[in-house]
Amino acid sequence: MTTVTPTLTRSTAAPAVQTNGHHAAASPTMVEVRDLRKVFPKRPADTRPLWRRLLPGGRPAMEEFVAVSGVSFSIQQGEIFGLLGPNGAGKTTTIRMLSTLLEPTSGTATINGYDIARQAPLVRQNLGAVLTGERSIYWKLTGRENLEYFAALYHIPPQTAKQRVSELLERLDLANRADENVERYSSGMKQRIAIAKALLANPPVLLLDEPTIGLDPQSARNLRELILEIKNEGRTILLTTHYMEEADQLSDRIGIIDQGRIIALDTAANLKRSINQLDSLQLEVENFEPSLVETLTLMPTVENVISHSGEPTWSLALHTTDSRALLPEVIALVGSRGGQIRAMQVAQPTLEDVFISLTGKQLRD
Amino acid sequence: MQTLVQRSFASELRAILAVANKEWTIFRRYPTWIAAFLFWPVMFPLAAIMTARALGGPSGAGFGAFAQLAGTPDYVAYIALGNTVYMWMNITLWGVGLTLRNEQMRGTLESNWLCPVWRISMVVGQSLQHLATSLVFLAITFVEFWLVFGVQIVRGNVGLVLLVLALLVPCIYGIGIIFGSLVLRFKEPNAMVFLVRGLVMIFCGVSYPLAVLPGWMQTVAQYIPLTYAIQGIRDIGLRGASLAELTPTLMPLAWFAALLPILGFVTFTVTERRARRTGALGQY
Repeated sequence: MTTVTPTLTRSTAAPAVQTNGHHAAASPTMVEVRDLRKVFPKRPADTRPLWRRLLPGGRPAMEEFVAVSGVSFSIQQGEIFGLLGPNGAGKTTTIRMLSTLLEPTSGTATINGYDIARQAPLVRQNLGAVLTGERSIYWKLTGRENLEYFAALYHIPPQTAKQRVSELLERLDLANRADENVERYSSGMKQRIAIAKALLANPPVLLLDEPTIGLDPQSARNLRELILEIKNEGRTILLTTHYMEEADQLSDRIGIIDQGRIIALDTAANLKRSINQLDSLQLEVENFEPSLVETLTLMPTVENVISHSGEPTWSLALHTTDSRALLPEVIALVGSRGGQIRAMQVAQPTLEDVFISLTGKQLRD
Repeated sequence: MQTLVQRSFASELRAILAVANKEWTIFRRYPTWIAAFLFWPVMFPLAAIMTARALGGPSGAGFGAFAQLAGTPDYVAYIALGNTVYMWMNITLWGVGLTLRNEQMRGTLESNWLCPVWRISMVVGQSLQHLATSLVFLAITFVEFWLVFGVQIVRGNVGLVLLVLALLVPCIYGIGIIFGSLVLRFKEPNAMVFLVRGLVMIFCGVSYPLAVLPGWMQTVAQYIPLTYAIQGIRDIGLRGASLAELTPTLMPLAWFAALLPILGFVTFTVTERRARRTGALGQY
């Protein structure tokens, strides 16, 4: 079990969005999002007997669930913009609004200059999207049949479509399996077909929602290389992920999203630099006394403590403003309660640390 | 960067055909359809035919009363004609009615709706494929009835039979699209299929003359298009009715044929809009 014990958490009620204006003047804006908000109606759980619920006025009033709460950002041509956040943070809802599958409650957004609410068909002509999961294609059709089918739905003329499908199958290394049913493909191949589908119409903008989720490490690595290749063709990519390494490796800029709000937005380097005053002191301890987490949290230079209980070794990460002063105190404290420190290091902050310092919780929570 | 999209009326038609072709390819890849196509047409009305035979008695004395009510002593053809229309309705409900829901369950609905094609074109394409397959099903039904029961279903004026079928097609697919939209909204198809087909089976005189129904049920039957289609096909096949004789039956059917597709389109549009507002597209 992993817990985060913060001593200092930043309020998300009034987020401070940081940006350095990277790319702002260099390239045209391809994705512009202003105060986008999505509120879903939600009926509260009702445990009363069915007959009482069926009586007039017996159903509880609908409540509201705010999935996205006033998100704003813009993406320039040729840029990969990463939306990083834990599950349920509002990443997928944002992507679904931008891809015209969901109507925003308020706010505006444009894709290549087209408004998502008023010019939905034109928006769909200008973007390719890969949604979470690999079932966006037909498993009972071959890879080629899938692409030819979607090419018709994108209004690509038949001759051009044939040529484009062959070209994409070749490029994504699927040509030799193109005439097999997709159900026989590996997860990585299915995801590549989904990306080929998104690229069919040669769109200037791509939306990739958790593209590497469920893939083995090798397939995920290959896919990340492919995403970089696609970017180098001049396409604009909005990528959502909850893998910080992925966001770090691929994104030119990253928006950290939590509880429907973007709480930080900048390049990965700048985001990490923003908490550079914090060290991450990481320890592995045997026979650790769990009640010490509270004591460590209360130490003067400690911002928060992430503890991961394992048998027999506990992992601890302490974000501190002064690791040099803290180190001997921690060694003494842990030792006094019978704990043996097996490994110890002072690490550079990661995007995960940025997220923790902003929200007081881990990305995987 | 120039997209390859070239939108036109022709490209919309190509998209509709692509949807139909995709549905047909997937349909062929589940081999159980062969069994369904070969056995259903005969098995389905058999129970009603055998019940009628039992009620008619060993000497067939009971068929006199039936002939008086139905206007024909040929109870096998009478039941076969009614059941064939009913089966068509039934497979449309399970086919067109559940296509959108099946896409949703497969996870491909959103993937389709990300494309710039009109969303109603996808429904039209699916209906087109379904129509083609169900016409094959009807053809097999006619042949099997002739081979197994010695009953020739299509008789009388074939042109008039085709006219009734032409009016019935928009009714059935209009109902199918309304049904499909409602299933997308309420998610639980089984209860709705059973309700609709139960209503049709009881009120439309699939296996018996409407005259045996109480008055209020006969009134309800007047508001279901299948009542007129079954009546019309029976009148042509069993009594050799002319166009003039058929007009009172065909007029209400024509009204239904004009209204139901429009109602289907409106229901679909409202459901699609609601799904975009509530996020119901991706929910199972």
